[in-house]
Amino acid sequence: MIHVPAPDPFTVFGLPRSMDLDARTLERRYLQLSRECHPDQLRSQDVGDCLAVLQRAAEVNDAWKVLRDPWQRARALLEANAPGVLERNKKLDPAFLTEALDLAEEVAFATGAAVAPLRERLQQALADDLAVVAREIGRGAHDAAALRLHASHYHRKALQDLDQKA
Amino acid sequence: MAYSDKVLDHYQNPRNVGALDKNDPNVGTGVVGAPECGDVMKLQIRVDDSGKIVDAKFKTYGCGSAIASSSLATEWLKGTSVDAAEQIKNTQIVEELSLPPVKIHCSVLAEDAIKAAIEDWRQKRAARTDGAEVKA
Repeated sequence: MIHVPAPDPFTVFGLPRSMDLDARTLERRYLQLSRECHPDQLRSQDVGDCLAVLQRAAEVNDAWKVLRDPWQRARALLEANAPGVLERNKKLDPAFLTEALDLAEEVAFATGAAVAPLRERLQQALADDLAVVAREIGRGAHDAAALRLHASHYHRKALQDLDQKA
Repeated sequence: MAYSDKVLDHYQNPRNVGALDKNDPNVGTGVVGAPECGDVMKLQIRVDDSGKIVDAKFKTYGCGSAIASSSLATEWLKGTSVDAAEQIKNTQIVEELSLPPVKIHCSVLAEDAIKAAIEDWRQKRAARTDGAEVKA
């Protein structure tokens, strides 16, 4: 199938570019849009029409996957509002990276009773990251949001490593 | 994708793993990261009065190629001058380790770490020189 660059997911859903999207509103919108481009609704025999509907259905599904996940939603929002902002902000503070290295080491050596509190700390760090990303996006500080979003990868990876040990 | 024998060798027997005292005025520390893959590389050098790198250590959290790139970098750094170290290019690391295109960014990270460590050492040295002038 020919790949055409899709419009940003907020446009696909006809919703404002915001981190504060109500989960129920989002789901209702998804179901509505899915019904509208369901093959059963299509009466046309025209191949072009069929392809267009198929394309629309794929866009809706892709947009849904992005919007329902707050992290992917943040990425999409940043790219839509400030194209290239994630690419431009990959240089993280050395002090933060040093902490990330210490954290990775802590995860590697964590055993027994140390695992549960460490997992809680990492989950909290990720929750804090997301709150800051949303706040920075909310006040239009896209660079700061992009930096924090990149920083969150280290917490996510540490958490994955910890879960793999178990 | 298979790692080359040299990458595997560095990965299984990494050279110069560890840390130097980052507060030592003769030690330069570089910490760089590739957030998209969650890699961190810390590279440290100890420089003597003649500008020769007498020791190098690294700690890397990342894939085999990132570990091998930084391990190799410390081998090259030890015994060389700061000026020569500054000329090390990521392409030399790529060549030595036969890194495939998808792993070139690991060698870039190692080059960035070398440059950051040298920059840190230079700043410390400059701060020291300034201090000496004030005292004089």
